[in-house]
Amino acid sequence: MNFIALVQALVDSGVDFVIIGGWCAILHGSSYLTNDLDICYSRVPGNLKRLAAALAPCHPKLRDLPSGLPFVWDEVTLRNGSLFTLSTDLGILDLMAEVAGVGGFEEAKTHSIQVQAFGRTVWTLDLPSLIQAKRSAGREKDLRLLPELESLLDSQDRE
Amino acid sequence: MKDLLPLTPEQLARVRHRLLHPAPESRIEAARKYGIDLTLVAAQLSLSPADRVRTMHDACAAAEQARGAARRIAK
Repeated sequence: MNFIALVQALVDSGVDFVIIGGWCAILHGSSYLTNDLDICYSRVPGNLKRLAAALAPCHPKLRDLPSGLPFVWDEVTLRNGSLFTLSTDLGILDLMAEVAGVGGFEEAKTHSIQVQAFGRTVWTLDLPSLIQAKRSAGREKDLRLLPELESLLDSQDRE
Repeated sequence: MKDLLPLTPEQLARVRHRLLHPAPESRIEAARKYGIDLTLVAAQLSLSPADRVRTMHDACAAAEQARGAARRIAK
């Protein structure tokens, strides 16, 4: 597992993406551990090509694909879907073209902020949008993060 | 465009006070009653975002190693 190297591979390949989910929460100060990296990515063709090339060395495979079935990781595969739950040599990676409660990549980017982390400059959802996304996703594992995230929001200075 | 920056010492002091001495009936107090350890949150906020990532990344790696060791023992 090396999420830092995974993020660096995406940034260094020029992939347009926003960090969402648990690592976004950690960037904002959450104390919950997470064992996967969630990103929202642009579906612009050039970006799909860069995304496919960036991850190819990590041998991505669909986690929910029965073993033995063929899986081709390329731009065409990315074009034909909008949600990919992957295992890679560097860790578990979920790719989403949309964020629940926020919208597609453009909306997610609009509601994101830049941060120096993972040894690079990356984009991540702002805290109010992360809370909105978790609330909209509505799964138990998302909802249990809300009290901590709301505390983080309420502890900040109001500007 | 906004950047997510480390908190200044003054900001951190204010944030720590709000987290560790929450106003009655606030969402922070509700979180504490829910079981959130706000001292851990305050500790995370004392770090830069880059260090928050590094710390949690190290913790994930340690947890993964422990799970691997437990699996090997079970075999």
